[in-house]
Amino acid sequence: MPNPQTLVEALYALPDGEERGFRFYGLDREERYYPYAAMRAEAERRAAFLAAAGLTKGDRVALLLPENHEFVLTFLGASVGGFVPVPMYPQATFKAIDAYLDILAHIVEAADVGAVVCMESNRDVMEKLEARPEMAGRRVLFAPEAFAGEPPPFERPHVSPEDLCFLQFTSGSTNKPKGVTVTHANLVANTTAFLGPDGLNRTPDDVGVGWLPLFHDMGLIGFVLGTLIVDLPVVLMQTAHFARMPRMWLELIGKHRGTITYAPNFAYELATKRVRDKDLEALDLSSLRVAGCGAEPIRAKTLLAFADKLAPTGFDAKAFLPSYGMAESCLAITFHPTGTDMIVDRVDAAAMRDGLARPAADDAADAIEIVSCGVGFPGHDVKVVDESGAARGEREVGEIVVRGPSVTEGYFRNAEATEAAIRDGWLHTGDLGYCADGNLYICGRIKDLIIINGANHYPQDIEWAIGELEGVRRGNVCAFSVVRDGTERLVVLAEANRGDAERLRGEIAKQVFSEFGLQVAEVAISPVGTLPKTSSGKHQRNKTRALFERGELTVHP
Amino acid sequence: MTRAELFEMFQRMATEIAEKDFSDVTEDSNIQELGLDSLSTLELVGAMERELDVQIPDEQLVGIQTVAQLLELVERRMAS
Repeated sequence: MPNPQTLVEALYALPDGEERGFRFYGLDREERYYPYAAMRAEAERRAAFLAAAGLTKGDRVALLLPENHEFVLTFLGASVGGFVPVPMYPQATFKAIDAYLDILAHIVEAADVGAVVCMESNRDVMEKLEARPEMAGRRVLFAPEAFAGEPPPFERPHVSPEDLCFLQFTSGSTNKPKGVTVTHANLVANTTAFLGPDGLNRTPDDVGVGWLPLFHDMGLIGFVLGTLIVDLPVVLMQTAHFARMPRMWLELIGKHRGTITYAPNFAYELATKRVRDKDLEALDLSSLRVAGCGAEPIRAKTLLAFADKLAPTGFDAKAFLPSYGMAESCLAITFHPTGTDMIVDRVDAAAMRDGLARPAADDAADAIEIVSCGVGFPGHDVKVVDESGAARGEREVGEIVVRGPSVTEGYFRNAEATEAAIRDGWLHTGDLGYCADGNLYICGRIKDLIIINGANHYPQDIEWAIGELEGVRRGNVCAFSVVRDGTERLVVLAEANRGDAERLRGEIAKQVFSEFGLQVAEVAISPVGTLPKTSSGKHQRNKTRALFERGELTVHP
Repeated sequence: MTRAELFEMFQRMATEIAEKDFSDVTEDSNIQELGLDSLSTLELVGAMERELDVQIPDEQLVGIQTVAQLLELVERRMAS
């Protein structure tokens, strides 16, 4: 395995020749193969054009590139040029554009980008964005047209491990996502950890197959940057195609003899549901040695159902690799060891409400099953602490904190958020978990994050959107998720007058769908003044949820 | 395939994917109000693409609101 110190060094250390490289299945479903040398050459060309557009070393450049190969080549071009790419997510179908434009405008301003690179298919969005004051003085380039022809002369700058590699904007607690800074040193440290001998233990025969979006850490680092650093060839399909054709994911693994793939829990569930028995004969998953799972709560039943269904294709359940991570720690924090059965802990439901992960009795019907996310990596520390920061004991639930070379130095130009997240060198993840027999188990989120279909939703955002509706008492809305049949589902409670209840139930569901693409499992309208609040007027989400679950909340018929 | 057959196919597939009854749906129904989330909607589009052997580019889906608009788009792609 090569041992580069930066992404750029890694790119130049990759072998020449036709055999190794990246294979992209584009939005047109055509296959495009780029050997490493071709990626490097194209990255150099794009670096030169970006510099000619006025960028200098360290300048940020936003990428709004729905086509994977355009994204990867432009990202690498920015890296070679010493610029700092800022991935932005493309507009989702069937969603309202205004909320989306607000987020883009916030990101270009918070990252203070010199330019935005997008594609012709984004022209409408870009024209609307350019009308906003936040875009003043920033260039807009269209790929691939902006990179066509003879590149201008360009001398590539030296890039150091401590230089910024990219900014990862997280969904954030409001409509104002924060930019996690990732240095080349962070990236190399994390990659070495999760792809090296203590992680997936990459071999020269490995092939990654993925469809995860590249504007998030799991797709970007897991399938592009990390794999490039260790010379691991990759096959990428578009995320939109996975949703439409889950089977294509599995077909590509068979076709290209994929050994490593990764997906959130919901994707395994979707594939299990959508793959028909008659498809099984044509599928071959016998090459797969790692089927990683992360980014949202992992459910043992989902993974076991997938293993059962896909067993005829040669799929081995030992390939499952539950893991835990977050953008603030680059990507990976803990991994389950490769090639071993996953570990499922059955804990007592009542004790868990008190923060104790006590093993459940064998015959307990309401035991909670929690999948082990494994152990941390050498050079990194992971521990569970109480509110005062003191370490919790074995099987005691607390906040997970992390320290080590993968951990970000902070949020870009946001000292306040950085100080809140990183205290005494420890990254406070906001996630609740416990340790048992050296393994880390994740229980939930302090911040009440709602994760549905792999996407993070902050209750506050949903509550604010609903607060805009006529008849809703602004600030008197509560959104949270409940688990029904093992799946996280959204519940919304709002205070309003009885006469408005029926109309609002429909309008709230519509509003939540149009702004967030989410289906509300239940909307309840309560009389004014019934949702519990703190003395300072903040609502108490956990208390409200508990009342709702026990059926003790007053609601209009 | 007639428009009525296409609409029936839409209903059948939506029922299969969302596991709920879509017999009240009309062509004028707003897709957002049918209770299909964004993932299910993409699944539905994918299922129709497979069954009819057409491809619907993502950018053409932006702005589609009613069932009729979606079916018209499918018909246009089938004709081209």
